[in-house]
Amino acid sequence: MQKKILEFTNILRKSGIRVSTAEALDAFTALEELSIEQRGIFKDALRTTMVKRGEEVPTFDQLFDLFWSGFYDNLREAMGQAAGGLQAFGLDLDELLQRIAEALRGQQGELGELSDLARALLTGDLSQLEQMIREAAAQAGTDRIENFLQVGFFSRRTVDQMNLEGAGEELRDLASRLEQAGLSPEEIQALRSLIEGLMEAARRAVRAYTERELQQQNHDYMEKFRRETLLEKSFYHLTEEEIRRMREVVERLAQKIRNILSIRRRRRKRGKLDLHQTLRRNMSHGGIPFELVFKHRKKDRPKLVILCDVSSSVANVSRFMLQFVYSLQEAFTKIRSFVFVAELGEVTQLFQEDEINEAIEEALEGGDVINVYTRSNFGYAFHHFWQNHLSAIDKKTTVLILGDARNNYNDPRAWCLRDIHNKAKNVVWLNPESPSAWGFGDSVMDKYLPYADIAEECRNLRQLSSVIDRLVL
Amino acid sequence: MFDSVEKVEQSLGGQGYICDQKIATVVFLASKLEKPVLVEGPAGVGKTELAKVVAAATGRQLIRLQCYEGLDEAKALYEWEYSKQLLYTQILKEKFTAVMAGSDSIRDAAERVGREDSVFFSYNFIVPRPLLNAITSDSPALLLVDEVDKSDPEFEAFLLEVLSDFQVTVPELGTIEAKRRPLVFLTSNNAREMSDALKRRCLHLYIDYPSEELEVRILQTKVPDAGQQLIEDLVKMMHRLRELDLKKVPSISETLDWARALLALNASELEEELVNQTFNVILKYEGDVRKAQAELSKLLEQKTGEAQAQSASASQAPRPAAVKKGALH
Repeated sequence: MQKKILEFTNILRKSGIRVSTAEALDAFTALEELSIEQRGIFKDALRTTMVKRGEEVPTFDQLFDLFWSGFYDNLREAMGQAAGGLQAFGLDLDELLQRIAEALRGQQGELGELSDLARALLTGDLSQLEQMIREAAAQAGTDRIENFLQVGFFSRRTVDQMNLEGAGEELRDLASRLEQAGLSPEEIQALRSLIEGLMEAARRAVRAYTERELQQQNHDYMEKFRRETLLEKSFYHLTEEEIRRMREVVERLAQKIRNILSIRRRRRKRGKLDLHQTLRRNMSHGGIPFELVFKHRKKDRPKLVILCDVSSSVANVSRFMLQFVYSLQEAFTKIRSFVFVAELGEVTQLFQEDEINEAIEEALEGGDVINVYTRSNFGYAFHHFWQNHLSAIDKKTTVLILGDARNNYNDPRAWCLRDIHNKAKNVVWLNPESPSAWGFGDSVMDKYLPYADIAEECRNLRQLSSVIDRLVL
Repeated sequence: MFDSVEKVEQSLGGQGYICDQKIATVVFLASKLEKPVLVEGPAGVGKTELAKVVAAATGRQLIRLQCYEGLDEAKALYEWEYSKQLLYTQILKEKFTAVMAGSDSIRDAAERVGREDSVFFSYNFIVPRPLLNAITSDSPALLLVDEVDKSDPEFEAFLLEVLSDFQVTVPELGTIEAKRRPLVFLTSNNAREMSDALKRRCLHLYIDYPSEELEVRILQTKVPDAGQQLIEDLVKMMHRLRELDLKKVPSISETLDWARALLALNASELEEELVNQTFNVILKYEGDVRKAQAELSKLLEQKTGEAQAQSASASQAPRPAAVKKGALH
């Protein structure tokens, strides 16, 4: 049992669930306290000690079923079917076994002389059979299986390893001997068909075991692969499902920012003893300092102004950017968000009031905010901002611009950005295009570049999160 | 304490808390292994309630620590009672003079006072906060650290000592070990991922929205006056609502509120008008209410369609008395 649990622990680890040694030990102690007869309790005990993350539970469930039951149940079912075939002859397994034992009594070659495997097959000893398959598969190296094409190969090796055919021969021999020993032809026929059924069931069980092994090996691989590609995948091509998952990642990112902010707020609270205030406050106690007053560090409340390009050239990207903006807005109090194509529209209010998807749809397609069906014109948008909202920027403000700077050969009006840059704490530009494309074609990124304190390529989540890490807004 | 998982289920049930085997297993293990439990799950599924009923069922004293942003050691563990120390120094001024009498230098005087300073850093001057209380309590206690995800990441760090060794270190006094190990429950709404170090020390329990069958049982226990029909309708409706993409998904506590509200309105089953009027009990956002109303009318259309088909196919059979047009079943 312990070995099996350790094996299961290893499989969990391979699938990306972090199970520490201490946790595995917890699982053992937990199982000592419980009767493991009840499957549900057994599963819950393993889960509660080893899996500590809500999102890992489905993986655990899947692996648990694969590991603990699927195989055993399949085996039982297959063996049951084989034994059920006897009913066609009006016999059941126990009766038949009894008859065999009677016929063999006193004769040479009792049931005890059969090999372990043959006996396990005939008597339907499932746990024995399961263990034998497991051992044979381990010796055949099934745990090195990599793809589906190898299933047949490893199944054959396992079958050879456990000498299943040999056991089949033994059983067939037994049937012939029984025939001589005087069992009725019907019984012999029933026995023969039972033997073939059992052999088939065993072969299938081996194959099922091999397939299961493949799944287990692959589970981790696929999962890891999926997550990694999601991080690397460009915002430009994402499926519905990926967008949903991406949302979770963005949410996590925003959480990270909130944590950073929370730590900052705490640091702010600690300050030196304020002697003046302490003395004044304690005048009434005759100058004995009963109440201490500390100096508070100056509040460092970051302000953020976000300008997000939502033109069709960056449609998919901007959806994420907006999602990100929305999450940011939940984290910061002083934040103003704008979207633009050519016109500039403020969405701060919208993002505060509406639910995330609605808000984003509204900002992208609603038409109430801005006309999104024009050609992008960064110069016009910046000028508009300069005219109307420049006062929103002070020396504590970080201006975050998300866009590809493809200006459709309009006037870039970089001087607007210069003025913004001069007033703001810093200007950060995240561009979904790679730096090599900046300034080529209708890109005016090179014109804006001098006025951006940080300009980064930001095409996938990994880049986004690395930018966030360095930003420390 | 508990003897078996079934016992846990029963005794929690005795306190009016209906739980499934999953929860019972974890509670059982927590009491056997003396490990803290980290309870996660959506808001309102009864995480805090679980800790309360376990305390009641085991006869432990409940010590609750509500976490919030900016919670620090002084509020959670202990604090030196500065003003009391100061007050004592004032009162004992005479004594100090006596102690210092005859000292010929400032250094000597300071040393003499220094020898006495353990007087001022003793238990007398400590204000124990929940964590220290739970450790030093003479009667067995249950410590509930509520909404631990709201606390700052660094708060977790000093929770660790309490959770793994059941001890608290006060630099001036040394390490205080638990006389009796408290049961510890931590609840989290997953606003923030807890650190691995913390998770490793805890058993983990994820409470999700209950199954229909379980929720019916909960309602039957908590709102015994409500009719069977109403309860079943309610639970069905709630499960449908939870499938919608709502900003705030209604939870068990909302189901209970709703049942009580409907009961107060003398409803025996769900009717469209009634439901529309009382949606605001379970849904906290205008947008959610709109979505739910759309879903409700869809549901009703479907139901009346079914009912018509049913009555058409069984036109001879008398219609069940309870079926009203527009009623949900």
